[in-house]
Order: sequence, then structure tokens, then C-alpha cells
Amino acid sequence: MKKALNQKIYKALSEIVGENYIAATPLTTFAYFQDASIFGGTQAEMVVRPGSTEEVSKIVALANQHRIPLIVRGGGASIYGQPKGSPGSNLLIDMTRMNKVLTINPESFTVTTQCGIIMGKLQYECRKEGFYIFAPFAPLHIVSLGGWIAGAAGAAGLWRDIISLTIVLPDGTIVKTGGGPGTNIHQSLFYNRNLGGPDFTGLFIGDGGSFGIKTEATVRITKFPTVMRVSIFEFNELSKVLAMVKCHLERVDPHPFDPIMVFGPGAMKNFMPEFGEINSFIAQGIMQGHTEKEMDAKHEVFNALAVELGGTRTPMLDAMAEVMTSSTSGESGMEMDWLKLFNVLGLPAWLPFTLPREGFLDVYNKLIAWRNARLEEAHKRGFEYGGTWEFFTPSDSSTLIGEIDSFFKDAGNPEVVSFVQTMMRDFQEYAHQLGSIDVYNQGLMSNLHALYWPDGFKHLYTTIKASLDPNNILNPDLWTSQKHPGRRPRRKIKK
Amino acid sequence: MKELSKVRNFVYNCRKCGLCGNKVSAKVPYVCPVREHTEGFEHFYSKGKITIAQGLLEGQIVPSPELTEIIYSCSLCGNCLTQCGIIDQDSELPLTDPPQIVEAMRADLLREHPEWIAPAYHAMITSTSQYDNPWGLPRVTKERWAKGLSVPNIQEHPSDILLFTGCTIPSNPVLIPRAQKAVAILNKANVVFAILGKDEPCCGSVQRRVGAFDLAYEMRARNITTFNNLGVSTIVTLCAGCYHTLKVDYQKADIPLKPKVYHLVDFLSQLITQHKLVFTHTQNLKVSYHDPCHLGRHSGIFDPPRDILNALPGITLVERRATRENTICCGAGGGMRIFTNGTLAEKIGKASLEDAIAVGTQAVVTACPFCELNLTTAAGHSDYKISIYDILDLVHTALGIGQ
Repeated sequence: MKKALNQKIYKALSEIVGENYIAATPLTTFAYFQDASIFGGTQAEMVVRPGSTEEVSKIVALANQHRIPLIVRGGGASIYGQPKGSPGSNLLIDMTRMNKVLTINPESFTVTTQCGIIMGKLQYECRKEGFYIFAPFAPLHIVSLGGWIAGAAGAAGLWRDIISLTIVLPDGTIVKTGGGPGTNIHQSLFYNRNLGGPDFTGLFIGDGGSFGIKTEATVRITKFPTVMRVSIFEFNELSKVLAMVKCHLERVDPHPFDPIMVFGPGAMKNFMPEFGEINSFIAQGIMQGHTEKEMDAKHEVFNALAVELGGTRTPMLDAMAEVMTSSTSGESGMEMDWLKLFNVLGLPAWLPFTLPREGFLDVYNKLIAWRNARLEEAHKRGFEYGGTWEFFTPSDSSTLIGEIDSFFKDAGNPEVVSFVQTMMRDFQEYAHQLGSIDVYNQGLMSNLHALYWPDGFKHLYTTIKASLDPNNILNPDLWTSQKHPGRRPRRKIKK
Repeated sequence: MKELSKVRNFVYNCRKCGLCGNKVSAKVPYVCPVREHTEGFEHFYSKGKITIAQGLLEGQIVPSPELTEIIYSCSLCGNCLTQCGIIDQDSELPLTDPPQIVEAMRADLLREHPEWIAPAYHAMITSTSQYDNPWGLPRVTKERWAKGLSVPNIQEHPSDILLFTGCTIPSNPVLIPRAQKAVAILNKANVVFAILGKDEPCCGSVQRRVGAFDLAYEMRARNITTFNNLGVSTIVTLCAGCYHTLKVDYQKADIPLKPKVYHLVDFLSQLITQHKLVFTHTQNLKVSYHDPCHLGRHSGIFDPPRDILNALPGITLVERRATRENTICCGAGGGMRIFTNGTLAEKIGKASLEDAIAVGTQAVVTACPFCELNLTTAAGHSDYKISIYDILDLVHTALGIGQ
């Protein structure tokens, strides 16, 4: 098969990464066809697994020279479909070989790492040194740091802590942003991306990978909190929970050690089935810190606040809190087995949203009503669903991020798959109209976001994209509600 | 794709999240030993293999010789299944099962394109038809090991307990002492037992793993009749693969296997609890226990071998980072000693030894002939100063037999 491909490109890539790190046969490249979504993908013509920034740079320069479209893949965990590139001629870069932690700096509270690292591994390496990364919403064991930065960090908490990026631009240029030698802050040991000029780090956060390939990152780390308390209260009205969230945020935002999670009626039975069904709203306060004394104080304040705002604490909820505390399944516990919970329930119709806290109640109720109407339709069509849940949490003081997912049985039924695809697409369209702008900058979602871009922003994006990537080789189908922002690749890999 | 179609639900219940290739935590250094010790492309671990299976089912891709390399590059260790852990809450059965998907693809390939399968796998299958063992050795091999030991043959001396040695141990001079030591230990505990000698059938484990489903089913049906007609109440196996096959796979047959099945470690652990074995000799050794996949992860036997080791004077048991259900395969499972001529199996074996050395152990103890052989080979081709034992070696010495 190798002979049938463009030998010149194959040979050049072999010289860059070594022959062992190229896959170019139909079955080995098909293994990359799908990510964690039901939106499918495109079979690449070749897959390469580079091991360094320099190798990525040479690959990209080669692709740029020959106008080969590039798809970049980290953990392959996108739920909206990986970029499809230009079917029949894609070169897929599998970044997960770049999985090394380069330095952990306990003085500056930073970790510098290659971006193909899976976040669970990164957390483990940091934790060995007594630190952790605040990434509360990341499914740690499946997403790469680079994928998270490009695809989701924009609205999911981590963005504040990304202080420097090494990027390979679409022409192969290596650039470093945000602090340290070789950056706009050309001083050793400086890690503050807001100093010394424009914040170019932010340009590449949430770009879906279309402006450049993230190869290394310096990320803020936090001393690992060794003491945890969990408080769980039930509320009979959503408005009271929202008041609780607001008061909590007023005290703790930014809140790496004090997240609060809200679950809708019935949702908890999916997370902790041994406690049965709870038909009220649940607010979980997860308090983490370094001493028992500090934690007792935090616990006391949280509990008093919840009671004052109408929350009720019961022996069962206390028992639930105790289980969470002892299993260290809080944010810092990092073992988060949520994936099992998702996967057991069936084919997911992911319905994530990110909404302003102000006005949240009205929009949230509309979204729930929309979801329920669609479930009724599914029921009429005989599609069985294995469960639903609703939960949300603040990602910063003004924003709530959450999901109102449903899970369908019979994942092998194409009609069910098609129904779920439509449901996810329609939901995002509806949620956008109501003011949601969700965290995922991938596949379907990136195109939906772009549909709502005002002309000024489109102009800015198009100008930057065309300037950095004049041949439009990097994830060419992202952000393409408008016709392709750059020129289409002219040449395909010849067979 | 007849067998793959039967496990269709497993293919579609996989969410392709990739945890099976990417999880790292305090107790899980990595999930898939094949991915870790190859170039790491996605076809080397379950997500990629299941994506390929789905592509085959949907006709997006067609089988080709390269499929052979993809589906035989798997030790069937099941760590992916353990880490994925999606279990139906009602039936408590896994909703997806990567090893079963891989086995099904092997079966289809063997039926539809036998010409693509490595000759060594065919040789195992042919040998089974000729000699009723996969290793090409005459049937008498299965009784030679017992020469001079006065071990009763069950057909001449009916017994309640059958000691089932399996094919691998009697076939290999390095492993034969395991069977002989097992006899000595059981005699020491005054256990009355017998063997089948040259008439002992192959259990069919190896055949199933490499994809010879038809042959394995045939062997299973025949063996169940044989075992049920023997009139024994208990079968004690020496081999982890035989144990899992008899204990788990045979339960799926139309006619169930009547005798209870134990692995020798489970049986010995009970003898120790009943004070039927008294240890007199001290061995000052710091060891770690390597859980064989068939015995541990696949059958849930984790505590008995540890109970035995903790009962032996002078033995200090140290756990590795990945242990019990998280244990990384030794590399020999699923026919991997044949794949790439054993080089990948050996590489994985070396990594397993490094994990043991990292926690300061002088020896690795296991309870499976395949693990023992592969780890011994890996140690022999390295500079590592570490010994490999079968647990029977240590029990035998601690009992002072022959000293």
C-alpha cells in the first residue's frame, strides 16, 4: 500500500519521524476514523506520530509546501466530531506520542509539558510532586492537554491557568507565547502572559486548532489539597439553588478549591445509585484545603449559608457526602469515574450548554422543556432511553456550564443514531438562539458557532487565518459557516 | 463476519472514548501493554480495533492481510475491559467486551481467510487434531512427567479429585517440576487425587484464543462429557488458562460441567487455612506476585495466592504499582508469543520485571506456566537481577519436601 501512496511525501515524512511512526495502510488509518462522537470522521491517507515540536514543525512545513490538509488529533475524545479536512487527502497528526512532562516548577507553581499528554497522566505526574491542575470538567483519562486547550478550555475553567504555549504555525514556524525566554516576556522565570505586549496565548485557546498546533504548554499548578469536605443540600426550588450559587461565588471565586455542583431532580441516582432517587435539586459543595482547621471553618460557613437560603440536609445526604469524601472523588481526587457512568447509560445525546448566570432560570427551563418534548417524540417512535440527567456548575462568577443529557438504548440502530445526531444539532441551534455559547470548538459545534459570528469578528478571524495559514491546510473545515476562510488546498496526496 | 456479527452489540455499545488506551492513575501506569510497547497507533489498542470492527460490520472497509497483524497484536489480557468497566446494572454483564470482539474477528479471519494466518497458529490447530495438545507432542508426554511418582490414574483408581495438569506444563522440561511439586504438596496434605495421564484432553483455551472457535467448541462438548462421566466432584488445575476455560467458558455450554473447578492456588490456600500444610523452612525473600490475567482479572482469584505467600516463613510480599485487577499482562497472552516471533511479548515481559524491580523485589512469583515462561525468557535476555518462581516452588521449599 505504501507504494500506491505518494512516495515522495511518505519518504519525506519517514525522514522526519522515522518509518515506524507512519501508518499508511487502509486499516491502520481507518482506526482513526472515529472519535468519541457519533458524527464520524474522515479516513486519513496517512497518520504520523511525531515526538517533538521540531518534528511537528517539519511535518507542517512539508504539508504547507505540498498543500496537504492536516487534521490534528489528541485523545480523540471530541463529542462533536473531529475535523473532516479534505476527504481523500488528509494527513492526520496523532499528537499522543508527545506525552512527556518537561518540568514542574514548585517555586513558580507551573508545569511545562508536551501537549499530547493525556490529562490524567499530567495530573498524576503533578500529584506525585504535590500539585494538581484545576480542570474540573475535563474527562481526564481521555482528553489530551492540547485538545482541551484548543477544543474546550475556552470556557471550562482552565483558560485562566494556561500561561504559555509553544505553537507550530501553519507554515511550520515555531513560536512561544506568554512568558519565559523566547517569548514576548523575554525574561527567564517570568510566567505572566499579560505582561510585555499583546496576549497571544489567548489567540490559540479555543481556536479548535485552526491557527496553530499546540506542542508544549506551561500551566499554572496548585498545591494539592489534602483535606476535603463535602456538603450536600437539597432545595425544592431552582431559584433558591441559584441564590446559593451566587452567595457561594461571592465568597470563593476564583474557586479552584471550592467548586459547587447542582444536580436536577432525579439526576443523582445515575451518579450514586445506591442512594436511590432524590426528586429535588441538589447542591454539592466540595471544599478542599490543606488543614483540618481550615476545612472545618469552610464547612461551617457553607452549611450555614445553605440553611439560610432554604437548603435541607438529611442523614441520607450526609451519608452521600461521606462516601464522596472517603472515595476522594472530588475534583482533586482526579480518579473521576464519570466516564463509566456515561458509557453504561447508552448512546448519549449530549446537550451541553454554557449560559450567563443572570437570566439563567428562564432559559434553563426552556431548554429542559425542549429536551423533554424531544424525548416524548423519541418515545413515540419507540426509541428507548436509558436515563437522563441535568447538572450545572459555575465556570466563573458570571457563567454556568452544564448538561441536560439523555442516553438511548440500541446504539447499533441507525435510526436511533440519526435521531440523536439531529437532537444534538437542533439543541445547539436552539440553545444558541437563547443565548448559550458552548465550550466545544470542534467539528459540528465550531461551524454552528461560526454561524452566529458578526461580520466584524468573521473579518478578524478570516484575516488572521488567511495570514497564518494562506494555504488553509490546518483543520480546513473548522469555522466554515461562511465559505472557506482561506483558499482550499490545491493538491491531494496522489494515489 | 459471522462471529463478529454475534458480538455486534459489544461493538456498538463501545463509546470510543479511548480510556482503554489512555488512562493513567496512581494504580494504572497504562492500560494496554501492546500500545505501550509498540509505536502506539490506535489500531494497537481496543478503541482502534473496535472502530475497525465497526467499519467491517458496516462494509466501510474490507478484510485484508493487514487485518491479521492488527487483531493478533492483542494479548487478550482484558485490562481495557476492566478499566472501561461498563457493566449492565441488571445483568451485571459487560456491555462491551474488547477481548471477545478481537476473538470473534480472529475466528472469522481463520474461517474466511486462513491463508493470511501465521503458520504457527495453524500448527497449533493441526497439532490439536493429531495429538490433542497444541504443542505437537505425542500423547504420552502427558504421563511421562509422573513416571516414578506413583500417581494413580483415575481410570484405574477412581478418585473424587482430578488433578488436571494441562498441556503446557507436561510438555516443557522447564515446567515439568511444577506438576511433580504439585503432587508432592498434595501428598503432604494427604489429599487423595488422581490424574488422567495420556488420556487427559486439552481444555481448548489456546485454540479459542487464536480463533479456532469450531475446534474449541467441539473440544468443550467432548471434554464436558468426559469429565462428567468420570464421577469426580472436583477438578484442580495447574494452569491459569485451563482454570478459566473450565470454570468460565465451560459454563456457557449447553450441558454444564458438573465437577467444581479450582486452581491449585485456591485449593492450597484452603489446605493452609485447614492447617493441612505446615511450613517448616524459612526463605528470606522479598517478592511481588504477578497476577496471571486468566486467574486474576478474568476469574477473580486475587487473594488465595497472596494468602499463601503471606503464610510462607520469611517471604515478604510487596505489591507493585499495578496489581490485582490492574496488573499489566506478562505479554504471553492471546498467542502473543507467536506474534512478531515473541519479541513484543518479551518486551512487555521486561516491562513487567522493571515494575517489580521498582518496588525492590528480588523475585516475581506467578501461578501460570505462560507467565512464568515469558517472564523467565525476558529476564534471561536482560541484565535484571530478579528470579522468577511459580508459587509452587516456594510452597514446596517451605514444606521442606526432599530436604
